[in-house]
Amino acid sequence: MPVMTLRTPQSMRRARGVKARRRTEFGLLVLASLVIVAAYTLMVLGNTSRLPSDSIPLLVSLFLLAAVAHVANRVLAPNAHAVILPIVFLLNGIGYTMIVRIDLGTGKHYAPLQAVWTAAGVAAYVITLFVVRRSRDLDRYRYLLLFGGVVLMLVPLVPHLGANINGARLWIRLGSLEFQPVELAKIVLCIFFASYFAEKRELLTIPTARLGNRLVLDPRPLVPIALAWVFAIGVMSLEHDIGFSALLFTLFIGMLWVTTGRTGYLVLGVALFAIGAYISTRYFAQTHIRIETWLDPWKVISPSDPGGQLRQAWYSLGSGGIGGTGLGLGSPWLIPNVRTDFIFAGIGEEMGLLGSTMVVVAFLLIVGAGLRIAQAAKSEFSKLAATGLTIIIGFQAFFIIGGVVRLLPLTGITLPFVSYGGSALIANYVLIALLMRISDEGGTTADAAEKEQYEKNEESRRALLAGPRR
Amino acid sequence: MEKRIRRLGIFMMLCMVAIFVQLNNIQVVKANSLATNPANPRVQAAGRSQPRGDIISADGVTLASSVLAVSGVYKYRRVYNPNTAVLFSQIVGYNSLKYGNFNGVEAEYNSYLVAHNKPAKSLRDLLTSQTEVDNVTLTINSNLQSQVAQAVDSGAPGVNGAAAVVLDPTTGAIEAMYSNPVFDPNPLASPDLATETAAWTAQLALPGNPLRAGAYNQIYPPGSSFKVITASGALEHRPDLAAMTYPVVSSIPLPDTGTPPQILHNYSFEPCGGTLQELLIQSCDADFASVGQLLGAPTLVNQAQAYGFNQRVPLDVPASTVAISNFGTAAAFAADVPGLMKSAIGQDNVAASALQMAMVAGTVANGGVEMTPHVMAQIRGSQGNLVASYTPKPWLRATSSRTAATLTTFMQGVASSGTAAGIFPANWNVAAKTGTAEVGPNLSETTDWLIAFAPNGQSKVAVAVVVPKQAAKQTGAGISGPIVKQILQDILGNQ
Repeated sequence: MPVMTLRTPQSMRRARGVKARRRTEFGLLVLASLVIVAAYTLMVLGNTSRLPSDSIPLLVSLFLLAAVAHVANRVLAPNAHAVILPIVFLLNGIGYTMIVRIDLGTGKHYAPLQAVWTAAGVAAYVITLFVVRRSRDLDRYRYLLLFGGVVLMLVPLVPHLGANINGARLWIRLGSLEFQPVELAKIVLCIFFASYFAEKRELLTIPTARLGNRLVLDPRPLVPIALAWVFAIGVMSLEHDIGFSALLFTLFIGMLWVTTGRTGYLVLGVALFAIGAYISTRYFAQTHIRIETWLDPWKVISPSDPGGQLRQAWYSLGSGGIGGTGLGLGSPWLIPNVRTDFIFAGIGEEMGLLGSTMVVVAFLLIVGAGLRIAQAAKSEFSKLAATGLTIIIGFQAFFIIGGVVRLLPLTGITLPFVSYGGSALIANYVLIALLMRISDEGGTTADAAEKEQYEKNEESRRALLAGPRR
Repeated sequence: MEKRIRRLGIFMMLCMVAIFVQLNNIQVVKANSLATNPANPRVQAAGRSQPRGDIISADGVTLASSVLAVSGVYKYRRVYNPNTAVLFSQIVGYNSLKYGNFNGVEAEYNSYLVAHNKPAKSLRDLLTSQTEVDNVTLTINSNLQSQVAQAVDSGAPGVNGAAAVVLDPTTGAIEAMYSNPVFDPNPLASPDLATETAAWTAQLALPGNPLRAGAYNQIYPPGSSFKVITASGALEHRPDLAAMTYPVVSSIPLPDTGTPPQILHNYSFEPCGGTLQELLIQSCDADFASVGQLLGAPTLVNQAQAYGFNQRVPLDVPASTVAISNFGTAAAFAADVPGLMKSAIGQDNVAASALQMAMVAGTVANGGVEMTPHVMAQIRGSQGNLVASYTPKPWLRATSSRTAATLTTFMQGVASSGTAAGIFPANWNVAAKTGTAEVGPNLSETTDWLIAFAPNGQSKVAVAVVVPKQAAKQTGAGISGPIVKQILQDILGNQ
């Protein structure tokens, strides 16, 4: 039976929606830039009692960067989500402001390099959008990606090339530049998982193998994935890092669960993780110390032990209170590693609970947008990929912030877009570009909702036409 | 899959909500205690970028103040009055950038001394805070403190750990508290980190660690001065023992110590005995050990704890810097009767701080009520407005007032005709108890005590003096007696 609809043609509506979306993005980007420049100006004013001379150049360069990314969106991903890029931009700018602020407190010069990395990140964003024109292109190179991920994770172990920083061998050093290849590896592995899970979904979900007279899950598709996981965790143990091991593990288990819906995987995963954590606590001094300080950060209070980075972070957060000390007026440089792992505490000190909550909410918004993109995505692969990418951003933020506020043991990973670090910035911009690509393909959440509503209407109409059920 | 993605979203939202809740815990609930924690380097830094409140003696001498720094990173410098810095070092403490602020009044009343937010009265106050500092006035008179220090230093020259505590038994106010060695807090509060480090290292290297307050953070065996507590136990809980007449002996065998048994003997094996009063006046070791045995461990332990043993004296300095005076437990004594008997005369594992023993004397003077000791008299805002003042609080009830009155008579006997005879003029009406604890390898050293109170007139005063590491032939009366006499003369002579 033909169904009558009174709807404007899909393409027209779509075009109008697209325009509105990019206009929203433009407006939010301008707003984000203004907020960043205002924060920067206040910070310098607070710290030096003088207006910064470079507010206008900063604003111009922010506008330029925003314009580049925005134009790239208009040309390469016109239908993509409107809010993600402005939020990322805001986080990046707040992070940059904090890094300048810490430079002012310590007399060091990290900010200029961070600015360069930001520009490189935006470039990486545009290039990714340009190169990856369809998300299914990625699906095609599944094993190449796996290979790439493996190489990226192994590179730091190469003598002379790899470097130990703060006890973790996660870096490679090229001349004076330091790079953390695992930041890229996390994306590559995420795409690989998505591709593999999407193809093997049924095998992973529906019991086909026979054990006695019962049907059980065929274990074979799990073998490569288990290998990949054992490899990832193994390499991470060799490199003495728990942050990324935990992140990759969460990514893996999360995606497997979303694919299959089998709670057994979650239980198994948590159990495996508990065992891994126990072993690593027993045998790796670094993990052991972190668990100890997590359980009792106040244990060693004495005049000769002023240290304890977690305590310092708490003093910083507590000194901030609700409204913060004011930008440029606190002492965030007193926290060890404040540029990277503990930048969140610095924000909490100078901007107070209001500022720290803003950062948390920003990540929550990115997570919300990412998962909506996943729901609206067209193929299973792109759904899974979007889910995985969102897991990475969301949980990376949760792990490090949770570590700083002592909800979790401290894992030395960076706060995406906020912390100092080139590889992290570039990798996270690539990640966002991929998310935008999937968003561009998948229609909008509005469309999805509309579709759902339409199908519901259809159903009720059909039910009506079929007459009362007997 | 959509459903699970939604669930994942809910889970991640809960994660972020958990962070938000914890952030409220840190930045709202715990914010003030974190912001004013002495280990928070901002606290010291704030003390340097803004003035810090003054610490003032009872007679109005400024002991610690903030002055504008001539040079350096910080705007203000913490300065301790050069006339009183050393004298008050273990009471006032020090405010060090590098070594923190963990000692004395500086740490205990830090939240008042440091520039702190005025109480918020509106939302505007909450967001843009106004700061102020308060000044702390002590109960200690700088003249008396100096006289006490001189009495200790001249009575026990060059002795590490000699200490004296003078307090008002009716209020618990510390009137003087001194022990040597002392230190100069000024270099420790220097804006120059190298100066701080050098001073710190030098202090730690000195014998007797001056940074550790000898008067309240060191414990010594109290010897016979503990008999006041054993006598309290008998008077309070066993009237039969208090009414008994004890045989004249020079030594007694200790039970369960094999054959031949160990001997517990009186000072120089002098024969000694009689009523409980005579035992205390003559300080009979053998008979007092028997009193302890007859009292039994539970009663004696309870009595010691009723005076403050086995718990931290609530002096208003950081608790971690106050020593706990030690007496055994009933469970341990159940299998160790010789230990109980030795403990009853303040030997074996018994150890007390000078502050604790001054409080024992004070409790007898105050009718059996032990007052909470304190060094803070009042705290005033920068405009002179009263922020807080100390109201005397009883800490423990050690004995009934009747027992205390009886003990007073006993202890007056000690001063008039007993082991402390001839030290104090009769018209001072002093009540005292001596203590000579035998310590060290082969009991080759003595720790010499004298605790006393002068109950004449309206103002009562209780004193304890301890001088450790003295020769075996020395006694509490001989070494600490003259020091206490000098201190009482300074106080009573001023009246």
